[in-house]
Amino acid sequence: MGSTDERVVAVIMVGGPTKGTRFRPLSLNIPKPLFPLAGQPMVHHPISACKKIPNLAQIFLIGFYDEREFALYVSSISNELRVPVRYLREDKPHGSAGGLYNFRDLIMEDSPSHIFLLNCDVCCSFPLPEMLESHRRYGGMGTILVIKVSAESANQFGELVADPATNELLHYTEKPETFVSDRINCGVYIFTPDIFTAIQGVSTQRKDRANLRRLSSFDALDSTTRNLPTDFVRLDQDILSPLAGKKQFYTYETMDFWEQIKTPGMSLKCSALYLAQFRFTSPNLLASGDGTKSAAISGDVYIHPSAKVHPTAKIGPNVSISANARIGAGARLISCIILDDVEIKENAVVIHAIVGWKSSIGRWSRVQASGDYNAKLGITILGEAVSVEDEVVVVNSIVLPNKTLNVSVQEEIIL
Amino acid sequence: MLNFLKDFEAKLGIKITCSQETKPLGTAGPLALARDKLIDDSGEPFFVLNSDVISEYPLKEMIAFHKHHGGEASIMVAKVDEPSKYGVVVMEESTGEVEKFVEKPKLFVGNKINAGIYLLNPSVLDRIELRPTSIEKEVFPKIASEKKLYAMVLPGFWMDVGQPRDYITGLRLYLDSLRKKSPSKLATGSHIVGNVIVDETTKIGEGCLIGPDVAIGPGCVVESGVRLSCCTVMQGVRIKKHACISSTIIGWHSTVGQWARVENMTILGEDVHVCDEIYSNGGVVLPHKEIKSRIWKPEIVMCKLIKNPR
Repeated sequence: MGSTDERVVAVIMVGGPTKGTRFRPLSLNIPKPLFPLAGQPMVHHPISACKKIPNLAQIFLIGFYDEREFALYVSSISNELRVPVRYLREDKPHGSAGGLYNFRDLIMEDSPSHIFLLNCDVCCSFPLPEMLESHRRYGGMGTILVIKVSAESANQFGELVADPATNELLHYTEKPETFVSDRINCGVYIFTPDIFTAIQGVSTQRKDRANLRRLSSFDALDSTTRNLPTDFVRLDQDILSPLAGKKQFYTYETMDFWEQIKTPGMSLKCSALYLAQFRFTSPNLLASGDGTKSAAISGDVYIHPSAKVHPTAKIGPNVSISANARIGAGARLISCIILDDVEIKENAVVIHAIVGWKSSIGRWSRVQASGDYNAKLGITILGEAVSVEDEVVVVNSIVLPNKTLNVSVQEEIIL
Repeated sequence: MLNFLKDFEAKLGIKITCSQETKPLGTAGPLALARDKLIDDSGEPFFVLNSDVISEYPLKEMIAFHKHHGGEASIMVAKVDEPSKYGVVVMEESTGEVEKFVEKPKLFVGNKINAGIYLLNPSVLDRIELRPTSIEKEVFPKIASEKKLYAMVLPGFWMDVGQPRDYITGLRLYLDSLRKKSPSKLATGSHIVGNVIVDETTKIGEGCLIGPDVAIGPGCVVESGVRLSCCTVMQGVRIKKHACISSTIIGWHSTVGQWARVENMTILGEDVHVCDEIYSNGGVVLPHKEIKSRIWKPEIVMCKLIKNPR
């Protein structure tokens, strides 16, 4: 079993600017991993979860963004957590496993016994200490976090089949056309250092095949990887699928919530999930008030200490208000994210929306949407510095930055 | 309705008598039905007014006009931009003698339309049988052919307020006219914008912004932080805090909830209750209903709604 000398590191894949296009218009102003959910940057939630791992030595963030975008955040979170957090920039795509391999020297610096791999755009309870414990018992190369979903939605993800007694991974298929299983890959893993050997094995195999193709004209060799560079290794197709059923990988099932944060609409849903989690893990972060000395609060609400909220406003449920925002008298906010420096004037109403940095919402105006997180226009999004004039109604719309709305709009994308 | 009329009898010091049709008699038939009540032996002409119009009612001027031309009947005509929507009166401009009526003409024949205000000699009643009869199609054309019908062009504003949208326009014109003729009847204050009339028994809270073109009836309560524009609020309505209402007619004893948004020709019948935070875009709501879910696009609400989120 684990000794107290065993160190653990965590690696969080944060992606890159070319990949975050679905997160526009919000990602026009900020890297997606730094967009706030429940008052904290998206990447903060997996990082906080890592803090619960015993003997955590380091946290690495791996992505394609410029280092400067993460420099401030990384230094402040290192201080706050008292654990070194480093941002490592990938120079070119290596695939989900190749990226890990690319930085193996740094990751193995402290000779950790275990390595966690997390995806930044996953929203869940991150049961990492429990995963570590289970992984030690199984004794395999890796343990994958899985969750049960509806059969209809399973084919959007990697589907897994596990042995019900031993939890061994028996079969893995990425986005299958026919139904394989309703257990899916959550994008959270724990490995032992022999994962690097496995990744290297894939690289080598591909190199050999490439050489073979050059020597002979045998085209029947694996055509799907023919065009991939030898150091591009995908965790799902290249490691998990081939090694399933060989007593190498195991599964750990979570019964809590799990979502992917791909669109702005989903970020609102995930913000609500994290706010609800705060009620159990850190209730001191949530706001309270009954409308006498401070604004009336309903349900889970986060208000940054520098934000000003008039006592006659009513906030919540599922509202997150960022730094320096000003909420005027008689305003009503329900299910929304209000970003930094926003001004919401008297008697305005915001329901199922994200209001971008420095925007201004006029008196008696109404910013609203149907609240369908999966619909393209189900959550109203206002980009940076959007001005909604007095009494204007904005429904089910997306407004790009720096626009002024002086007439009401419904179901439009305003460029 | 009878109670309402009794109040008016007392207020105005005049006698109001009712004649009720048991079956529809058109636009002339009801006059024949009320014949006994209309004829006294004075031989003086009597006014016939349609109640779904609004104007400045220059009745004294109409009496003078009628006596001057000595004909059997006078009608008021209004000059409009789109005469084809109505019945056009073709008349001789200098004398006002009416040539003919053309109903909803396809080509332009004139821009004066029947404003629904008449001054008739008692002899006109002899021309009307007690059966469904149209005054515009049967009675007036006959009088016109005898060259005994004259038309006077209405000064000031006129509006057919049969449709809710036109009612709101009519209100605007009426308040405009009130501003010119008796501005003291209009409301004043830092919370008032444009022409607004508010019954003295109504209470308005702090931080409201009312107007332009708003009429609020008796016994209403407008709570704090409310925004009203281009709307009519009937007797006994309560509008709760922070609501925003425009281009709307709110029926008697209805309520509008906190932070509700009601606009774009929303019409609430009697005793309709819009819940807190609801958005209504052009909902037409029949009486005695509760609105618990949003109305995204104009529609008529008759039956129970399936519950939607706000």
